[in-house]
Amino acid sequence: MNELLWTYVGWPLVKILVILLALVLLAAYLSWFERKLLAYMQIRLGPNRVGPKGWLQPIADALKLFVKEDLTPTFAEKFVFLLGPVLIIVPALAVFSVIPFGPSPNLFVTDVNIGVLFVLAVSSIGVYGIILGGWASNNKFSLMGGLRSAAQMISYEVPMGFAVVTVLVMAKSLSLVRIVEAQKEAGVWFVFPGFVAFFIYFVCGVAETNRNPFDLPEAESELVAGYHTEYSGMKFAFYFLAEYANMVVVSSMATVMFLGGWLRPFPNVAALAFLDVIPPLGWFLLKVAFFLFAYIWFRGTFPRYRFDQLMRLGWKVLLPVSLANLLVVAYFVSLPGGKL
Amino acid sequence: MAELEATVLAGEEMEVSFGPQHPATHGVLRLQLKVDGEKIVDAKPIIGYLHRGTEKLFERETYPQCIPHTDRMDYTAAATNNQGFVGAVEKLMGITIPPRAAYIRMILAELQRIASHIIWLATHALDIGAVTPFFYTFEEREKILDLFEEYCGARLTLNTMRIGGVPWDLPEGWTGRCRKFVEELPKKIEDWERLLTNNRIWKARTVGVGVIDAEKAIAWGLTGPPLRGSGVQWDIRKVFPYDRYDEVEFDIPIGKNGDTYDRYLVRMEEMRQSVRIIRQCLDRLPDGPVMAWVPKVIRPPKGEVYFSVEGPKGELGYYIVSDGGVTPYRVRVRPPCFVNLQALPELVKGHLVADVVAVIGTLDIVLGEIDR
Amino acid sequence: MSFWGFLASVVPADLLTGLLTTGKYLFSRKATIQYPEQRKEPADRFRGMFGYSLERCNVCRGCEKACPIGIIHIESHWEEYEIEGKKRKKQVIDRYDIDVKRCMFCNLCAEACPTEAIWLTTKTYEAAAYERNQALYFDKDKLMRWEGVRAYPGVKPPAEGGLPFFRLGGEEEEEEDH
Repeated sequence: MNELLWTYVGWPLVKILVILLALVLLAAYLSWFERKLLAYMQIRLGPNRVGPKGWLQPIADALKLFVKEDLTPTFAEKFVFLLGPVLIIVPALAVFSVIPFGPSPNLFVTDVNIGVLFVLAVSSIGVYGIILGGWASNNKFSLMGGLRSAAQMISYEVPMGFAVVTVLVMAKSLSLVRIVEAQKEAGVWFVFPGFVAFFIYFVCGVAETNRNPFDLPEAESELVAGYHTEYSGMKFAFYFLAEYANMVVVSSMATVMFLGGWLRPFPNVAALAFLDVIPPLGWFLLKVAFFLFAYIWFRGTFPRYRFDQLMRLGWKVLLPVSLANLLVVAYFVSLPGGKL
Repeated sequence: MAELEATVLAGEEMEVSFGPQHPATHGVLRLQLKVDGEKIVDAKPIIGYLHRGTEKLFERETYPQCIPHTDRMDYTAAATNNQGFVGAVEKLMGITIPPRAAYIRMILAELQRIASHIIWLATHALDIGAVTPFFYTFEEREKILDLFEEYCGARLTLNTMRIGGVPWDLPEGWTGRCRKFVEELPKKIEDWERLLTNNRIWKARTVGVGVIDAEKAIAWGLTGPPLRGSGVQWDIRKVFPYDRYDEVEFDIPIGKNGDTYDRYLVRMEEMRQSVRIIRQCLDRLPDGPVMAWVPKVIRPPKGEVYFSVEGPKGELGYYIVSDGGVTPYRVRVRPPCFVNLQALPELVKGHLVADVVAVIGTLDIVLGEIDR
Repeated sequence: MSFWGFLASVVPADLLTGLLTTGKYLFSRKATIQYPEQRKEPADRFRGMFGYSLERCNVCRGCEKACPIGIIHIESHWEEYEIEGKKRKKQVIDRYDIDVKRCMFCNLCAEACPTEAIWLTTKTYEAAAYERNQALYFDKDKLMRWEGVRAYPGVKPPAEGGLPFFRLGGEEEEEEDH
């Protein structure tokens, strides 16, 4: 009885808690990492006062946001205003239940056989948090931010979907664990055969997470702070956290689908077996870190697109290219002997 | 179909108050935008939030006392403001300044032009979303400010020129440090350009935005880079040379299309030309006094004078009416920003909200000067 | 679109140069000055807080007149004194106040002073105070003895024919040679 309880309730709960905690901490430290890296790119030093080398800065930030006054604008739609942050943080964290951090079943919460669909479906709920938050604030800039965000996220989900389908065609499965295993069987990461899809996926991922150069919903020089202009305290922290959690989601998904998840480079080449000194989880985190670095690097370098240009890029460039790419990949896969 | 569009698809117009507390309005400019979705139907700049009555203040200050007040109009370009005011008084009194003073003034003014353009580039790029150039450019501006500090003791509000010359001679080793700075600057400018000039996003945001043709630019009274960006070769330094600008060689960069991108290129090239001018000035810097003889109490003769200099933002003119007393009877400033801002509604109409930010940036306005 | 144009639009060389530039700066020297620990020494001519020398001041009121915002307040009276049997009159300062909180550090007072009795080249920029009406209103004693006041840099000592030497905080020789 006790064993059953442990297997079906205790252990999953522990895993969930650990992953949740790790994730929240990771998101907080991601913000520190970003500030530090951005500062170094901008010939500054970044936060270095709280704790040794500024290591406690995220904790201090979190504490500050905890004790801040929680303001609700007088004419805001109170309930929806409250709902916004909830709707964005819950899906952002829930997605992680299907992401495999490593090969052993202890390293992911669950392996759903429609993992990819689950990720796409749940993460797209997040857009409601932004739209509702922007609308409920009863602020013109928030509303504009929310509208921009809605249009942007919906239009970039389409090419993103096609990029994901390309991977599915190659892996012949919707389960994220299966996708990684397929890459192992093929002996090559999907980034090589699916380079175009990878590129499109990452561009769309940046757009989905509202990051520079696609950070229009919160373009501070245009819309003050965009959809979260009126949010303060913990509610703001949720938006903030969700943004970083979403970055981790997109990076993990890119890692799983294109960079072979926890696999080392060229998993079937025995000569490279010495690379196994880094455990699978280490490889996974390294690859995620690479994507996160790219995110920050982009933010440090690029100007921001304009709204109409963003739409044009999404619909007129990325969508046709991703469709064409899907056809080409599907053709090669269907060839006799098309192993991928 | 047209009817349907008119009745159903035409959304309601929304009025957005853009500023005065807005991250992108460069100070306390307020724009009343009428937007249809994100499209600008109408824009109305509302100014006066930084009005300090500088022109009225001039009427109760003696002439030398006016100079620190000019610092505070265009606070990003204090030296050129000084230059315009003291130039006007000197013209009224018929004072010729010693050549060394003129050269020092030119060096200071050109350094100030670079510093002002650096602020413009930094904030313009920041408004369009590129954060990083801000820090790279401000590092160089800091070096300019250090040079200013060494010369006159202040970094922002310089108060560095006096009627009849400049108050101090250059400190020892200053010319060497200045030369070192101007030798290094072009490399840095290249770095900044690598981040922006060919960047497809930057181009998408600036090419074809805020277009004004030469004829219209003249009709609106634009001066400075906004006018030159439209292809009009007009620079006070060339057409009415003051100080010793007729002795140095430099080119006036002009644009072709009169859009934001061309104005950007014009300003980038102007920085290089300023470097060129400073180099020549340092080469030719004559010896001699830095102050002409001026009476202890400055009482210009009765009369009126208009004198203008090419500020970083355009033609900065001072119109001084003197009644023969120790204080001016009336001073009217022709601020380049104020005149350039007029064209803003014309430039943004039909564009999107994001372009408003780009256009404000490209006009390079300073509210201290607009409101005075 | 030409072939090269197409190629240029596909290959993001422009974006890559930008990325490389920021990447280069990632490893470059940082410009930050860690303020309270590291301080930047102001230039010799830096116009900071006031220094004032009662000994050198001959009460000409040039600074008062030169000040564009009128923050220097001087009050004085005439005193008779005898030197070598002759009666002389001299002005003695009762009040020499500078309302520093309104000062814009334009240096016109220092330029107007014929005896270099007031100067701004004290290399001090930390003038912030919690209460500015009291802390930033300097009377003549405070002007001479605030913490960190420096002598006028360009003045020769009296032995070399300069004007009377300015005494830093000098409590000891207070009543001598006026």
